[in-house]
Amino acid sequence: MSEPLLTASGITVRFGGLVANDNIDLEVAPVGITGLIGPNGAGKTTLFNVLTGLNRPTSGSVAYDGQDISRWSPHRRARAGMSRTFQRLELFGGMTVRDNLLAAWEASIPGGVMGRRQSEGRQLVDEVIARLQLGAVAGRQTGELPTGIGRMVELGRALCTRPRLLLLDEPSSGLDAKETAHFKEILVEVTDPEQAVQSEDGRGAPAVLMVEHDVRLVMDVCRMITVLDFGKRIACGAPDEVRNDPAVIAAYLGEPAA
Amino acid sequence: MLQFIVLGLFAGSIYALASLGIVLTYKTTGVFNFAYGGIAMFCAYVFWQLRDGWGLDQWIAIPLLLLVIAPLLGLILELLFRLLSQQSAEVQIVVCLGVLAFFTTIVNLVFVRHPDDSVRNLSTVFSHGSFGLTSNVSVTWNEAGTFILAIVMGLGLYAMQRWTRLGTAMRAVVDNRDLAGLIAVNARTIGRAAWIISTVFAAVAGVLLSVQENLVTYVLPFLVIYSFAPAVFGRLTNLGLAFAGSLTLGLTINILQKYGSSGSLAKFETSLPYLALFVLLVVYGKRLTEVKSSLRATTSRAVADPWRGYVVGAVALILALVLGPQVFADSTVGALAQAMAYGVVAITVVVLTGWTGQISIAQMSFAGVGAFTTAHTVASLGALYFPLGVLFGILIAVPVSLLVGIPSLRLSGLFLALATMAFALVMDSIVFASASISGGLTGLDLTEAKLGPISFDTATSQYYLCAVALGVTGLFALWLRHGPVGRRLQMVRDSPNAAATLGASLTVTKLAVFAACAAIAAVGGALLAVTQQTVIPANFSFDTSLQLLLVVVIGGRTLISGAVIAAGFYVVRLLPVPATVNKYLPLGIALAVIAIAQEPDGIGRVMLNQFQKSAALLYRIGRRPRTPVAGRTSSPQAVRPSV
Repeated sequence: MSEPLLTASGITVRFGGLVANDNIDLEVAPVGITGLIGPNGAGKTTLFNVLTGLNRPTSGSVAYDGQDISRWSPHRRARAGMSRTFQRLELFGGMTVRDNLLAAWEASIPGGVMGRRQSEGRQLVDEVIARLQLGAVAGRQTGELPTGIGRMVELGRALCTRPRLLLLDEPSSGLDAKETAHFKEILVEVTDPEQAVQSEDGRGAPAVLMVEHDVRLVMDVCRMITVLDFGKRIACGAPDEVRNDPAVIAAYLGEPAA
Repeated sequence: MLQFIVLGLFAGSIYALASLGIVLTYKTTGVFNFAYGGIAMFCAYVFWQLRDGWGLDQWIAIPLLLLVIAPLLGLILELLFRLLSQQSAEVQIVVCLGVLAFFTTIVNLVFVRHPDDSVRNLSTVFSHGSFGLTSNVSVTWNEAGTFILAIVMGLGLYAMQRWTRLGTAMRAVVDNRDLAGLIAVNARTIGRAAWIISTVFAAVAGVLLSVQENLVTYVLPFLVIYSFAPAVFGRLTNLGLAFAGSLTLGLTINILQKYGSSGSLAKFETSLPYLALFVLLVVYGKRLTEVKSSLRATTSRAVADPWRGYVVGAVALILALVLGPQVFADSTVGALAQAMAYGVVAITVVVLTGWTGQISIAQMSFAGVGAFTTAHTVASLGALYFPLGVLFGILIAVPVSLLVGIPSLRLSGLFLALATMAFALVMDSIVFASASISGGLTGLDLTEAKLGPISFDTATSQYYLCAVALGVTGLFALWLRHGPVGRRLQMVRDSPNAAATLGASLTVTKLAVFAACAAIAAVGGALLAVTQQTVIPANFSFDTSLQLLLVVVIGGRTLISGAVIAAGFYVVRLLPVPATVNKYLPLGIALAVIAIAQEPDGIGRVMLNQFQKSAALLYRIGRRPRTPVAGRTSSPQAVRPSV
């Protein structure tokens, strides 16, 4: 297996007396979907915020593509190809779906705010809208959309930055079974190197790190899974290994580890 | 030396009372009370009216003020801000500034009926006379009483927080509003208590300050702003630090006075608290704790179709150009020219407040930079160099805006509001007050200005200049809003986190907007200078910036037309309207701001909504079928035979 795209080592985050992340190591492969699971309050979102730069860790470091990015600001990380979605939707509510995507594309390229290479951006946005089947709502304001479509818009927005690493924070939360299945289908499609949204600079399918509650979804799509519990990493491996790991079973079912 | 220490402790203890009150409401309710000075002044005047005006005994007047009037005022304020607690921070700040404007104007309307009334004496509430501390240092009973009262009230507040149930509940709310709610602490009761205590402190501080400084309507609110610095020194949450900071501030000012107060040093003394406020904001930077009340950012409304805006704007501009000077008298044309120059500055408020969610109370200060720079350039180089003067104005305004913006823009809107406030007051008390820069009270003349061969010496030519400037600025801003720039502003405003994680730098975005707005304001200021022909510092003071913000909020802070309506308010003051209009206009503005600040599109939208509501009501009444209301069988229509 090749070098990991993202490596977090020894991440510790303390909020006052609470240790949200305790010396966590995490690796994300440059292709495919990596999963991050754990019960409520395990520290998944905190770790996500550390990876994207919204929170500063108390200690530990994050390396991306061979560079130490621990001290980088969120937007610098985004410019380097990291893009994320949010568990609680963070859409630009006053804008249409199309403008949400366009704004994301503009934010990701140098000079985007000056309106450079607009046609290229519009082309990418159109393609993403088509791929994510958002055509029917493209002109609607995102503030008034249901969660299911909102999740899809956030995914599309992240894709419009042409990410190398896509970080999805609980993409299925708030979705019903049908919507989750649809989301999974689209996700597998856009991360497949054969079918990915291609951009002119040749960036292909992004690697994905996905925090998820829905264990079945994770088991289905992920190549590697890391499990957190109470801020600690308790397991890491392929879906089958993790599924049978006694510590994981204990964490989820509350039984003592055998 | 000892004498100055005594004076310093005396002044400091008044600031201490005010800063404690400000910190208390901020940390329990998340509202930074910009109106504190206005409230304090109002209470001082009420006290004067009760005791000196109506001749009530002091020991009736004091309890009446502190136990009835001030608490009542506190309850009203609590209700007002609770109603706004679901609104964005920017609405709260604007309403607070509206309340400040309300109290300052109401005092002028109610208590200052005659120009001579604007300075009144208020005798001490303590006994007159003094005692000797050492052989040559004497302390008046007023000073001693004030100091002791401040210590007692400060300790009382501390003890209340520490040992009473209410205090424990307050600390719980400060720690975590939502959790406190879960353990049956009623945040509403706590908020009420905080507002009441805070207002009582304001009343005491106002009365004590008025005894020292007399009742002067245009001084008192600013003296209370002195206590903003110690409040920030206590990081807006620490009562002890705020108290200590206040005493230090009082001591520093008075000890500086010992070493002479003439020339520039005197100016430094008056502006020291504002400078201190500014420096503290810079030094503390990100370490300042932000109390999150249950604020959520209001989702901005979708931007309307731009073409309508372009068409309306272009038509208005053409009409203004073609008709203006023909239709109106010369004096009106001059007034309109000034108003349109003002409108250019107002557009920067729309861009900052309405589109970016940042509140600046210093846009007229930036305009002043442009005005004075232009006046100086033209005076020394000649009328032809007017454009160069405008350029110089921009070149000065932009770095200055970066200086103001860099520390505060990393934080939330409140801190930019505070920093710009401090900046505007520093500009007033140091820069614009310096005769070599501003020409003193009489100002600088700018009688001639030329753009190439065109001379702007008549009202009509100035009118054309300003109309074109306003039209071009407005259309340009509109065009920007519908492009990538507008999207960038809206994404930063709607969801800062998402914007950052998609690659947009929040600080750079906000800073660029702030600097661009400072530059445009400087241009607007230069235009104002050309139209006014005499550049007077008072036209670019903190007060004028505050008024500008308020009228833009009324006009609609998200709309370019809001800036035009703001300019309309400006023109009213210049035209020969009945005196009552000018008398009550400021009060009307203050009240209107408090009432409609929640509506980002301003008074136009409010009126439209009302119109639609009443139209719908009329329609329903007209259409209502004449069937009886259930249960009212006595109605004749009800006795229809059922088939």
